[in-house]
Amino acid sequence: MPRKAVITGIGHTAFGRLEGRSVRDLEIEAIRLAVADAGFERADIDGLITDPGPAQPVIDGIEPHYLALGRQLGIDPDFVGTEVLGGASSVSSVQRAVMAIEAGLCSVCLCVYGDTALSASGSFSYGRGAEAAFGFFGATGLHALAAQRHMARYGTRPEHLAEVAMAARAHAMQTPHAQLKRPLDLDGYLASRMLAEPLRRADCCLISDGAAAVVVCAADRLADLATPGINVLAMGQAHSLSTIANADHFDQTPAARCGPATLARVGVTAADVDVALLYDCFTIVVLMQLEAYGFCRLGESGPFVTGGRIAPGGELALNPTGGLMAEGYGGGMLHVIEAVRQLRGTAGARQVAGARLALVSGHGLGMNTHASLVLGG
Amino acid sequence: MNDTARPDTKILADPFPDARRQGRLLAAECRACGHLFLPFGPVCPRCWSIDIGQRQMSGAGEVATFTIYRQSYHPDFPAPYVLALIALAEGPRLISNVIGCAPEQVHIGMAVSVRFVPRGDQVLPLFVPVTSPARNPEIQGDTP
Ligand SMILES: [Zn+2]
Repeated sequence: MPRKAVITGIGHTAFGRLEGRSVRDLEIEAIRLAVADAGFERADIDGLITDPGPAQPVIDGIEPHYLALGRQLGIDPDFVGTEVLGGASSVSSVQRAVMAIEAGLCSVCLCVYGDTALSASGSFSYGRGAEAAFGFFGATGLHALAAQRHMARYGTRPEHLAEVAMAARAHAMQTPHAQLKRPLDLDGYLASRMLAEPLRRADCCLISDGAAAVVVCAADRLADLATPGINVLAMGQAHSLSTIANADHFDQTPAARCGPATLARVGVTAADVDVALLYDCFTIVVLMQLEAYGFCRLGESGPFVTGGRIAPGGELALNPTGGLMAEGYGGGMLHVIEAVRQLRGTAGARQVAGARLALVSGHGLGMNTHASLVLGG
Repeated sequence: MNDTARPDTKILADPFPDARRQGRLLAAECRACGHLFLPFGPVCPRCWSIDIGQRQMSGAGEVATFTIYRQSYHPDFPAPYVLALIALAEGPRLISNVIGCAPEQVHIGMAVSVRFVPRGDQVLPLFVPVTSPARNPEIQGDTP
């Protein structure tokens, strides 16, 4: 009989500027917390899947990331992997853990994100391949190309982007560990420095040091069988690997395929989602996903978010921690963790009453990758 | 970027620098299915044929989308400048710059035509509004 995998442990470090902490040190802190939360011990771990943050090498010389971390952990697991889907990697790491457990390859699997992107030297305004010859730098410029089209096609306005940024900041005020606890109003948004029109500094997520970990295990291996884990009801991915010069690259993210298909796998729609943890590297990406997953119709995400609908107390519980924009850049693992807290009913001041169905998304690599999880309590 | 090294410009929108120096914009053409595409590659992304030739583009196109960089990320690219996705009249699309007008005048759907501009040791296909005065010396410069 096939085994069922559930999420049973969560843990993370502080997020922000953590001078003097190595990425290994942070990853191991998050792992210890998650393993303890699950009620397991080091010897129980037989799977390791890693999501190296943007400033970390996927392969250092000949050494893949999971090997570098696993060596420090002193473990000899039955299943390993390192995800390379950019911002979709945390979600896909959990997916890979579920698949490995349900296929019988391992039974207690760690999924780990970690980075020291803020305190490490370097920046993210890297040239975008050959097109750097035209001054194509950074993720902001790329997402600005999508935002500009959204505005031209649908009449989306800076005030709509502002709603996303303001809601994230307001949510973070209720998140004790949030990196950016400073409210933002419309004047503050409009005064934010323009980087690549129409995207301002306030449209961008944070850069952070920190680590976050999740334990996925076979339901028959739960340390405390009286406390059921969080069910993984549906998983999905979609990717757009063709060139960005592809006709509709900037009009849709692969979420437009991944979102509806994943929700349909468990027979639900966006209307059934109690809490949405959507990958929010830029405000425009939140708007495009609201349309892609069917929270609103194509082109209507600007009006949809207007009037505080995604702010605290709003109709749609979206990124209650403040997400990448204010809680901290946790790859996407912090989104998974908040979904688990909400479904456990342990989200404190942020708790969405009666939350039973959570959606988590990941988006990465210049709008090329997307991954979704539907979780249930 | 923390260094001032020039961006890697070895693989441009087309691998034929001589054509660009001669003022010709080329696209890859699949000899099996006729698909025109950029950037150049050894395989047709529509039919997987490896019988790939080249075809000269008219240089006419329009702005599919764009952004005005207000932040400079590299000394070779002082802000503001316009980065745009150009849809060529024949179909292929390429990332380039719109020059020869104020950045604020650029809009989606704007008709543009190619203008070859020396930049460093390269000659790059940039785009100017079709309504701008032809052969304006200002738009032959080395800044985007
Ligand atoms: Zn072909």
